[in-house]
Amino acid sequence: MMNRLSYILILGICLLITCSQLQAAERFPPPEFENHVLPETTVPAPHQDIYEYIDVAVLFAALCLASYLVLKKRNRRYIFALMIFSLIYFGFWRKGCVCSIGALQNVALSLFDSNYAIPIGVLLFFLLPLIFTLFFGRMFCAAVCPLGAIQDVFLLKPIPVPRWLENALRLFAYVYLAVAILFAITGSAFIICRYDPFISLFRLSGSLNMLVLGGCVLLIGVFIGRPYCRFICPYGVILRQLSRVSRQQVTITPDDCIKCRLCEDACPFGAITRPTHQWPQTDYSMNKKRLAFFIVLLPVLVLLCGWAGNALSGSASRVHVTVRLAERIYAEDAGDVKDTTDASLAFRATGKPVKELYSEADVIREKFALDGCLLGAFLGLVIGIKLIGSTIQWHREDYQADRAGCVACGRCFQYCPREHDRLKKLNEHSK
Amino acid sequence: MKDQPTPKTVTANASYQTAVNSAIVAAVFALLVSGLLVRNYLQITVFDPVRAEKLEILKLKVADEPKNEELLANIRETDLQIRQDRLRRLDFSRKGTWLLLGCVVVFLISAKYAANCRKKLPSPLPAGDSSKKQVHEAKLTRWSVTASLVLLGCVALFLAVRSRVDFSSTGPMVDSYPSKEDIHKNWPYFRGAGGLGISAFTNISSSWNGKTLEGIVWKTPVPLEGKNSPIVWGNRVFVSGADEKKRQVYCFDASSGELLWSGDVPNRAPPGTGPLESEDDTGLAAPTMVTDGERIYAIFATGDIGCFDFEGKQIWAKNPGVPDSTYGYASSLAMYRNLVIIQYDQGAAEDNKSRLIALDGFTGRSMWETKRPVPNSWTSPIVAETEKGYQIITCADPWVIAYDPNNGAELWRVDCLGTDVAPSPIYAGGLVFAIEPYTELIAIRPDGTGDVTKSHIAWVAEDGIPDICSPVSNGKLIWLLTTDGTLTCYATEDGKKLYEQDLEQSFQASPSLVGDRLYMLSEKGVMFIAQAGTEYKELARCELGEICYASSAFTDGRIYIRGDKNLYCIGKSN
Repeated sequence: MMNRLSYILILGICLLITCSQLQAAERFPPPEFENHVLPETTVPAPHQDIYEYIDVAVLFAALCLASYLVLKKRNRRYIFALMIFSLIYFGFWRKGCVCSIGALQNVALSLFDSNYAIPIGVLLFFLLPLIFTLFFGRMFCAAVCPLGAIQDVFLLKPIPVPRWLENALRLFAYVYLAVAILFAITGSAFIICRYDPFISLFRLSGSLNMLVLGGCVLLIGVFIGRPYCRFICPYGVILRQLSRVSRQQVTITPDDCIKCRLCEDACPFGAITRPTHQWPQTDYSMNKKRLAFFIVLLPVLVLLCGWAGNALSGSASRVHVTVRLAERIYAEDAGDVKDTTDASLAFRATGKPVKELYSEADVIREKFALDGCLLGAFLGLVIGIKLIGSTIQWHREDYQADRAGCVACGRCFQYCPREHDRLKKLNEHSK
Repeated sequence: MKDQPTPKTVTANASYQTAVNSAIVAAVFALLVSGLLVRNYLQITVFDPVRAEKLEILKLKVADEPKNEELLANIRETDLQIRQDRLRRLDFSRKGTWLLLGCVVVFLISAKYAANCRKKLPSPLPAGDSSKKQVHEAKLTRWSVTASLVLLGCVALFLAVRSRVDFSSTGPMVDSYPSKEDIHKNWPYFRGAGGLGISAFTNISSSWNGKTLEGIVWKTPVPLEGKNSPIVWGNRVFVSGADEKKRQVYCFDASSGELLWSGDVPNRAPPGTGPLESEDDTGLAAPTMVTDGERIYAIFATGDIGCFDFEGKQIWAKNPGVPDSTYGYASSLAMYRNLVIIQYDQGAAEDNKSRLIALDGFTGRSMWETKRPVPNSWTSPIVAETEKGYQIITCADPWVIAYDPNNGAELWRVDCLGTDVAPSPIYAGGLVFAIEPYTELIAIRPDGTGDVTKSHIAWVAEDGIPDICSPVSNGKLIWLLTTDGTLTCYATEDGKKLYEQDLEQSFQASPSLVGDRLYMLSEKGVMFIAQAGTEYKELARCELGEICYASSAFTDGRIYIRGDKNLYCIGKSN
């Protein structure tokens, strides 16, 4: 009772102190400064290249350490500590830029635009996590990505997401990937960076909208493990696929699985797959027909989504500043709008012929039409494969970490009795 | 009987309780700080702009009461207060954010610790045959993926049906300003295309009589006085007029002369500005208007500028400040593409008040402004298409200055003028011609940069120099007309004087060129029509019977003349 009272007392005192301080700042402005000297204009120091290489070195070291901690040390505490370091360094210290997720756009643009030279640091930020994933699984997600780290830190009361729902929601990461690439290769926008929900939190400033968005994602992340990583992250889509074929992989047990089922609900990200049983014969036969249907449907879906991507190009191209300006100028000239914008006024002040602007906009639209078609077809392919996958009976005998979905956080290790045996033996051996 | 808790359990419970309480304290703190940050944000984004607006209103009052020390002190104090508040709020935001971050960190550590204290151990239920569950899960996956596909399809459909602008089939005008052909076909500015006073048509009448109305298509009274010239676009003729109370724009039907509408230009002078007294020689509506074929723009001696559409609807109005002009403001407007160009020369040069202003015709917003080192002047700017591109040419004591119409940047200047400059410049035969009243005609090559006084003056002439009328040229010859009626002709190439002719009447309207004929309208309303050659040869004289100050406008088969009271259309009836 005394204990509780003391806490309430402390809380009350703290509140009073804070309120009085904050209110005082509002009520009593500091004295006027009559002899204020205008500060000299300062110019930001030029970007130091050395930071680019330090960042890459830290990334490489963090990936190596993460691989060691996950695969050899198998210690969640150490992984968590590395994750906190990454959050502080890549997130709050380096302000979330450059990041591997955003680097995806730079790489895409450099592949399609010969005039764009990608910085070596950005390229390495894109490639290193992919290479490590090919060898060791998703080590980047485990403890290096600041976006994953901040969500992991906020995860307090995980609620499992049904697998069927997870399968559907994961589609949106593919859509985001396709849209991000489309806008990047057409030189329209780097939407992954623009709509990074955590960047304003890392920088402790930003527009209200982005702060609210970041806050909402973290609030969801209190109950749903890493929602951005699982359902939105476009880089995660690539890492998932590479992780499927990685040389080494996280295992729940250091030895053989004894099917004790203690790890069954250990993963807050739904990345533990259970042993499967033979499907009933009727379902099995039915599924064979379904499989045939979906295989036939696959090219239809690819064509349909490709067409949809093409049809959307008109709307999508409005993201490009030239198309937007051209449409604005057109609307002003047609009398559809009565006011003007800063952009349209600035354009008119240049004296550039409107026809020239229109033809530039048309070229960009054509690019959108072609790229939109290809990316639409890609989405159709993904959906088709997902439908086909739902009709295939996978054979598993053990509890395993899902090769694609496991972010190697190391939570499941301590649930395995064989892991406890291993640690016990290790302690005895060291003694 | 209850089991006695072990010391370990007691410690664990106390740790758990501590963690929970810390988490609660941190969460409450975080909410409190968040609330204060939101309040601070609202202060910055909502309330501070209102104060800033009030400050702007106070600043505007300074124009009326420049010596009101109390007002000035009030402005200084308010300005300081706003700045201090702004800085304090930013500091508050910064500190609050760090405080919030600290609270969140404490909350997370406490909450995670508490959760760790009460971690549930896994307790799996006995395993059964999960094949049915797997089949069900696969079925749900199929449906959920299909539902996602449908959802994406709906979004795609919604976005795809949004109208797409087809630039190739543009219904509206492709360029937002009139073409050169349209400008030449009409008479949209003072002295027509380029301010040169040259008619694009040669089928202009050379015989009329104001008393018998022979050769006159229509004659319509203009409600308010004005010395500005008519401008014409399509089937519309525009003039403006003003007295000490009103400033009006008039639109006449070019076929019938019917006054279609008149539009009032509102008084947008700074509050407290009294009525401007009219100078007898200049009046309040001396500047000629301009049109871009969709809108018309007028300026008055009060500085009031108005924009109307062709139906008489006012689009915008503004006032850049009442011009300080000895004889009353008289510079006509010019146009470059969508920009309305205003030569706003005023006061003495050292007052530093003169400037060249470009307004966006659509909105009236200032696109650029350039300070001019000159005193008040009465010339009108022209937009010349030189070999080096478009240039705005301006004249005032002592500079002829050319500007880039795209951004107002100065291109070149020549120190060659003096006194009260009124004749406007022209560009002909690759040269800019400027006039120092009564003194000199200066021919300048417009391809220099910077001060080209010593390098780019091609030649100077000193005979028959006018003080009001602007010159006219066909590229090879240039004619000057003085107020007392002396017509002088020079060769543009070398400035050689070819002839001088006394017309024995006084002139204020600038001469015009129609094919190979010169049209010169005297103050008495007599149009002298002479051959535009190396010798003077009078072809005709036509009397209007009304005093005329304004220069005439020429379109296809028509002349529009503004008399002291009436507007005339001369030509053949449709």
